[in-house]
Amino acid sequence: MQITFTVNGEERELEVTPYTRLLDLLREDLGLTGVKEGCGKGECGACTVIMNGELTASCLVPAPQADQAEILTVEGLGTRDDLHPIQESFVEAGAVQCGYCIPGMILAGKRLLDENPEPTEKEVRYGLSGNICRCTGYAKIIDAVMLAADKLAVEGSDSSD
Amino acid sequence: MTDQNKRIKDYFCKHTTRCTIEGVKKSKRFVGHDVLKADAWDKVTGEAVYPDDIFFDDLLYVKIKRAVHPHAILKDIDISQAKKVNGVVDIVIAEDIPDVRQFGLIIRDQPVLIAPGEKMRYMGDPLAIVVAETKEAAKKARDLIKVKVEELEVITDPFRAMEDDAPDIHPDGNIVITHHLNRGDVDEAFKNSAIVEENRYQTQFIDQLPMQNEAGVALYDERRGVVNIWAATQWLHDTQADVAQSLRLSKDQIRIIQPTIGGAFGKKEDVSVHIHLAIAAMRTGRPVKLCFTREESMITQSKRHPITIINKTGVDRDGYLTAWETKFIGDTGAYASSGPAVVHKGMYHATGPYNCPNLRGVSHAVYTNNTYAGAMRGFGTAQGAFAYEQQMDILAEKLSIDPAEFRLKNIYQKDSITPNGQQLTHSVNAEETIKRVMELSDWKGGRK
Repeated sequence: MQITFTVNGEERELEVTPYTRLLDLLREDLGLTGVKEGCGKGECGACTVIMNGELTASCLVPAPQADQAEILTVEGLGTRDDLHPIQESFVEAGAVQCGYCIPGMILAGKRLLDENPEPTEKEVRYGLSGNICRCTGYAKIIDAVMLAADKLAVEGSDSSD
Repeated sequence: MTDQNKRIKDYFCKHTTRCTIEGVKKSKRFVGHDVLKADAWDKVTGEAVYPDDIFFDDLLYVKIKRAVHPHAILKDIDISQAKKVNGVVDIVIAEDIPDVRQFGLIIRDQPVLIAPGEKMRYMGDPLAIVVAETKEAAKKARDLIKVKVEELEVITDPFRAMEDDAPDIHPDGNIVITHHLNRGDVDEAFKNSAIVEENRYQTQFIDQLPMQNEAGVALYDERRGVVNIWAATQWLHDTQADVAQSLRLSKDQIRIIQPTIGGAFGKKEDVSVHIHLAIAAMRTGRPVKLCFTREESMITQSKRHPITIINKTGVDRDGYLTAWETKFIGDTGAYASSGPAVVHKGMYHATGPYNCPNLRGVSHAVYTNNTYAGAMRGFGTAQGAFAYEQQMDILAEKLSIDPAEFRLKNIYQKDSITPNGQQLTHSVNAEETIKRVMELSDWKGGRK
């Protein structure tokens, strides 16, 4: 069947089978390999995308369900030369080790800060609770999201000047 | 600097250790400077390439048919139905690769494929390599492979494995290796001890669980006679050598290219996808990809050893350790992997960071039909820590002394000698560490 959806601001039309996972569609058909598979069961958060504004485990979504959806993956957030403040914060806070969980973490952080620009540490922990990291012990990832909140606040106040 | 920017700086200083080195002499390049990780940019943008992110236009997908019973003789394998699946390119069984040799990190005891008449020893043992145009076709064909087996007793307990009447999992018996430790006169020291405490401790299997499962891509360059394998491994050159000897190729015919690794923690020391990928690539002449699912990774690849530790520890009236006798029985599962070294090393750390003049120990790494155990952070010492720290707490209670003070009395100092005879000549900060912990935690003697 044919589906139409928007990925990282670009409208795409694709032929999919009913059993294709959104995860495979993004990775294999669109080459968005920043979306990772960790468990294939919606437990680990590595395959997180933002779909219609909500954090979504793309391994649990049959591709046809993405028809008409708007999807953001880490590739749509910022580029190497023009990092999003959250990406920048992850680099600066030393939050990245093996990196496999990081695209999901960054999107979870973004979703949190979109809704709650000044989160407490507890709220950050809650916001990241659907994403597992096995390297860092989370401390620096939490730092990175707190730092990103500060950066975004500065950006906001600068632009209003 | 704006107030907001200052806030960020303050925040940083509070939450990271980087600002605490101000005033400390800095080296020219790294020590004392903020060094951002070189690969962080690739990883925050999704550009980093992990093994499963590598694609070729004419890529084939590999799936492995695995054991149907943890301990059984393979009587027959029938791939006729599986071969009929649309999109299947090749199904490899043992008879197709008669020259391929076993592999393994320390002991080469792992078969590449189980042949009829041979045994499967755990649920991860491979029976057939299925290569197909799509993942779905490979999976479908794998599930159509029919297998007949003769079931044997399944041994899940290393103590059962060591009994005389237990069936041998491997031809040379179930005890892979035994190590001994001896220093001083343990029997005499126990006789003269004020308290002797003996306890048995049991740890469990733990999966290292790196976020990325085992995965890889291989491409055979026929003109050069080289197999290129893109797969995560922790021991690049050991893996290269092991894959080469298994396939009876020279090392320069196996080129392992290390992409970004999505975590390992010991689990990726063992060969996983490599040999099956190489075989599939050479037989089909096309690029091939094999990615384990999480379940497959859990069933097939190494674990932290469950170790049974029996500790007998003596102390004198003043609270000094007098003698320590230990037994380490490590369940290394169906294959040796790093087991002979892990269990051995665990025993050498049996007394932890505590001085003890008289020591006796024995360790056995034992085969069972569980998933094999290998390397994981600490390499056998984490299991021992659980046991020796419990001993220390129990002895402190019996002596009615503060467990922290008891540890301080016995803690390693400069020039202490470890059970394996190593003299500690520098950087022995254990006493300072305990004191600092007591201070920071406002230690009140551990009394309720």
